[in-house]
Amino acid sequence: MSRVLRSPAAAPVLAGIGILVVWELLLRVFTAENFILPRPSAIVGALVDNWSEVFAAARVTGFVIVSGLIAGVVVGVVAAAVVTLFRTANEAITPLAVALNAVPIIALAPIFNNWFGLTSPRSNQMIVVVLVFFPVFINTSRGLTQVERSQIELMESYAASRWEILRHVRIPNALPFFFTALKLSTSLAVIAAIVAEYFGGRQDALGPFITASAGLARYDDAWAAVVAGSFIGGVLYALASVGERIAMPVRSRGGRS
Amino acid sequence: MTESATTPVDGSAASDGVTTGSRSGDAATEVLAVDVRDVSQRFHAGRPNEVHALDHIDLTAEPGEFITLIGPSGCGKSTLLRIIAALVDPTDGEVSVHGKTADQARIDQDYGMAFQKAGLFDWRTVAKNIELPLELMGWSKPDRTAKAREMLELVRLDEFVEHYPAELSGGMQQRVAIARSLAFDPSLLLMDEPFGALDEMTREHMQDQLLRIWTETETTIVFVTHSVPEAVYLSTRVVVMSPRPGRIAAEIPIDLGARSAETRDDPAFFDAVTEVRRALRAVEG
Repeated sequence: MSRVLRSPAAAPVLAGIGILVVWELLLRVFTAENFILPRPSAIVGALVDNWSEVFAAARVTGFVIVSGLIAGVVVGVVAAAVVTLFRTANEAITPLAVALNAVPIIALAPIFNNWFGLTSPRSNQMIVVVLVFFPVFINTSRGLTQVERSQIELMESYAASRWEILRHVRIPNALPFFFTALKLSTSLAVIAAIVAEYFGGRQDALGPFITASAGLARYDDAWAAVVAGSFIGGVLYALASVGERIAMPVRSRGGRS
Repeated sequence: MTESATTPVDGSAASDGVTTGSRSGDAATEVLAVDVRDVSQRFHAGRPNEVHALDHIDLTAEPGEFITLIGPSGCGKSTLLRIIAALVDPTDGEVSVHGKTADQARIDQDYGMAFQKAGLFDWRTVAKNIELPLELMGWSKPDRTAKAREMLELVRLDEFVEHYPAELSGGMQQRVAIARSLAFDPSLLLMDEPFGALDEMTREHMQDQLLRIWTETETTIVFVTHSVPEAVYLSTRVVVMSPRPGRIAAEIPIDLGARSAETRDDPAFFDAVTEVRRALRAVEG
């Protein structure tokens, strides 16, 4: 028991449970209206009652999130590798990408619906891809290029090829940058998918479920769908953290002095 | 113009490169370890921000010599080191290392290099950092492991084989970097202020270790430093450079015999330090 309490996950888990308990108790004491903030127990009840519908919607949205995330990460990493290996590409693309990063991608959702079809999940996926692309591309290319000059000179003094420098210096150097962007992207992808779904895409997804429930004043149902979305985000974040630990066991240990 | 490059400030005869401190007995028959002939370097040539970094530099090093380059900031001493390493192409002039072009020497990995920043890779253990150049040269794994251990014994860090650089002090990291630069038995070692970031105690300790390694491995060393006592203590010849554009203002042979703790208190040591200081003051004034 004491070992469980001392694990790094213990404090946040206990804090989370504490917040839920306080939330539940406060709402019971002050009997706030359900449409303002439902009690956690009511949200759990709604989740159980609508389980099959919420689960199906979460699968539809989950597919949009995961496929969009993977595509965005792959495109971002490939683009970062290209600008690292070819200096002219870097000078042409990187400032453009930084400028485009300022575009509120989510605001393009109705326009993407027009391009990819109002009821097609493709438009939602594309929103996720574009939104994930920027942080992954910008961070990864920074990690690949911001290498200590003496380390590059050292490799050149070994007559190392560009590929060897990439493999032995640039890629390991970029890993922390990449995983920071990846972890950030998991929550961005969830937000992007659900908000994009407010404007179009499949009607049996989490986004439309939330808007429909809210429209019918069934706020505990809407909250249940939000919980499902959070769960997807949490799982993806945890997977990214596990990947980080596998890819860079020493540096993610956090014990660096 | 070119004459000034080798004219010593103190009026004594210019060193011909063979000093009593050098171990090469019959230097004339050997190929020069480093031969820099009439090298000039201009950065951003023809543009408003043109920098005339080096002007008609001639410098030679016999095998087994320990040469330090010293001079005020901006005198081009690091640039000269990088030109010898073929990391920078000179605008004019030629460099040969062991009779080859500098670039061929780089490709053949004839020299090892160490910088002011240790530049170890955080994600590799101490041993794996030393193995990196050997890995690139295609050494087998058992050979690499054995060599890394041997090198760590040389710099007295064999207990730290499996440690990561972040777990080591600055001085220890620098020793690993030196072990790495020596791992493939280069006959020439190029060092750019390798002890610049260390505190005085560690620095003196490292100087002794470097001299021991130099004696044991019979390498030629070209060493860039800001510190006059360091230059005098380490080298067989101190090369004083003047700034803007970088020229060789004086070459001062140092003959202090085998170094020890007493050397630092030896009047001959202070005389040499004074001589180098005078030469430096002349170029700065």
